[in-house]
Amino acid sequence: MSDRQEPPELTVDEVRMRIRVAGVPIPEDRVAMVHDLLRNGLRPIRALDSRAVRTVEPAPAFDAAAERDRHGRR
Amino acid sequence: MAAADLCYLGIAELARRYRAKELSPVEVADAHLARIEAVDKKLQSYVTVTPERALADARAAEGAIRAGSAGPLAGIPVAYKDLYATKGVRTTAGSALLADWIPAEDCTCVTRLQQAGMVMLGKLITHEFAFGIQFPGHRFPPARNPWNLDHVPGGSSSGSGAALAAGLTVGSLGSDTGGSIRGPAAFCGIVGLKPTYGRLSRAGVVTLSWTLDHTGPMARSVEDCALMLQALAGHDPADPASSREPVSDYTAGLRAPVRGLKVGVVRDYFLSDAKPEVAAAFEAAMEELKKLGAEVREVAFPGIWSSPALMVIMLSEAFAYHARDLREQPQLYGEVLREKLMAGALVTAEEYVQALRIRSQLREAAHAVLQEVDVMATPTATVTAPAFATVLDPNFPFARSNMFPFNMTGQPVLALPCGFSPAGLPISLQLAGRPFDEATVLRLGHAYEQATEWHRRRPPV
Repeated sequence: MSDRQEPPELTVDEVRMRIRVAGVPIPEDRVAMVHDLLRNGLRPIRALDSRAVRTVEPAPAFDAAAERDRHGRR
Repeated sequence: MAAADLCYLGIAELARRYRAKELSPVEVADAHLARIEAVDKKLQSYVTVTPERALADARAAEGAIRAGSAGPLAGIPVAYKDLYATKGVRTTAGSALLADWIPAEDCTCVTRLQQAGMVMLGKLITHEFAFGIQFPGHRFPPARNPWNLDHVPGGSSSGSGAALAAGLTVGSLGSDTGGSIRGPAAFCGIVGLKPTYGRLSRAGVVTLSWTLDHTGPMARSVEDCALMLQALAGHDPADPASSREPVSDYTAGLRAPVRGLKVGVVRDYFLSDAKPEVAAAFEAAMEELKKLGAEVREVAFPGIWSSPALMVIMLSEAFAYHARDLREQPQLYGEVLREKLMAGALVTAEEYVQALRIRSQLREAAHAVLQEVDVMATPTATVTAPAFATVLDPNFPFARSNMFPFNMTGQPVLALPCGFSPAGLPISLQLAGRPFDEATVLRLGHAYEQATEWHRRRPPV
C-alpha cells in the first residue's frame, strides 16, 4: 500500500471523453465540478499497483444456516 | 422550569422526572411543539411536524409509565431524518422526486424507537437524497445552523443537527455514508454516533450507497446516544448487511474509569490541513484525556491517504440506484445534485473494483492500528461550519474528509463537542473504536464529556 504518491491525474479532457462515451447529459458548466469529484476519488486508485493487492474483495458471503423468506432475504 | 430549559433536558433526566411525576410526556411534547413553532421559522430544520401523532405517542407513553411498564425511552421526544420511512407520514428524502411519498410501513429503526415508547415530533430535512445541498429554488429550503444562521449546519443530516442544537427535539436518527451524522454533529455542537457497519438496520431508509451507508443516533449527550443505540441495535433480517453479533450493554459501563485506555492519534492526514483553532481544541482534548488517565500516543495508519476512493464507491452505487429516474425524470433532481449523481456513470468497472480493494486494505490497516490502541482520536472536521455563500458555489471543492476513512473501515465512531472557534462555531472530537466495540468509544466519550462543559452550551436562538 502506498501513501501520498503522485499518480497521473484525471484531466478535464478525459472527463469530457467519458461523458461522451457514457452518454449522460452533463452540461459544460458542470464539467469542472464533476472533474473535481472524480479526480479526488480516482487519485488513490491510479496510485494503486493492482498486482500487489490481495484479491479478497468484493466477495459474496453465504450463511447456510440463515433462514430466508420467499424473496431470498435472510 | 422555563420552557426552553425543559427542551434541553436529556433522556435520563426526563425519564427520572417522569417516574417521579415531576413532568409528563404530554407536557414535554407540548413544550417542544411550541418551541418548534416559535424557533423553526428561522432554522427550517423540520420538513414535517406531526403534532397529533406526538400527543398520541405522549399519552400512550404516559399510560405505560403510570403502569410501570415503560423503558428508559418512553415519552422521550424524537424526530427522524426524512430519509427514514414513516408509516402514514410523508418521507421526502429532501427530494422533489419523493415529495408526496407516504410509506405504508415504518422502517426498522423507527419501529424499534416507537416500540420503546419514543414520541415522534416529525421529520427533519436532509440534503437531497443524503448527498446534494439544497440550492435556492429547490422544493425544500435548507436547514440553517443555530450558532450562526448564515452558516450551514453540515449534512446530510442537516435538520437533525440543527434541531438538536436548538432544543427542538431530544433525540434524532441520522444516516452516515461519508460523514452525514458526524458532520452535522460537528458543525452544530451535538453528539452523533456512526455505529459499526451492520450493527443497525438500514431497511426502509432511502439509500445513498449501500456498502457505505450507516444509520445511527444523534443527541446532545453521549449517554443519550447510548440509550438510543441500546433500543436500535440487533439483527434485522430485512437488511442483508445486518450483523448477528450479540448486542452489548451500552450504558452499564458508561461511567467506568478510562484509566489505562490506549488512545491513538494519527497526525498524518487527520491533522494535516486542520485550521489552527481546530488543532488547538483537539490538542486540548488530548490533554484532558491524559488527565483522565488515558494513555495518548501517536500511531501510524498506513494507506490513510487512499480513503478518498470512497467517492468512487459512493458515486457508482448512487448512480446505480438513481439511473432510471435520472433518465426518465431528471427535472425532479435539484440543480447540481443531478450532475453529481451522473458522475457515477463515468466510473469504470475496474475503478469501482479497485476502490473496493482499497477499502479492504484500509480495513486491515485499521485493524492493525487497533491492535496497538483501543481507540483512535482525530478532529471530526478540520474546519468549522462554512457559510452558505461559500458552499453554494457549484465549484466549491469537495474537501478531503476526516470522516470518510471510517465509512471505508466500517468501525464505530463517535463525534462530540470539544471546543468553539473565536467566531463562536463548534469544534468536534472524533473517537473511532474496534468493530462492534461501541461500548468503549461511548465510555471514553462520556468521560471526556463529563470532564468538560462544551456540550452544555446553547446557541443564540
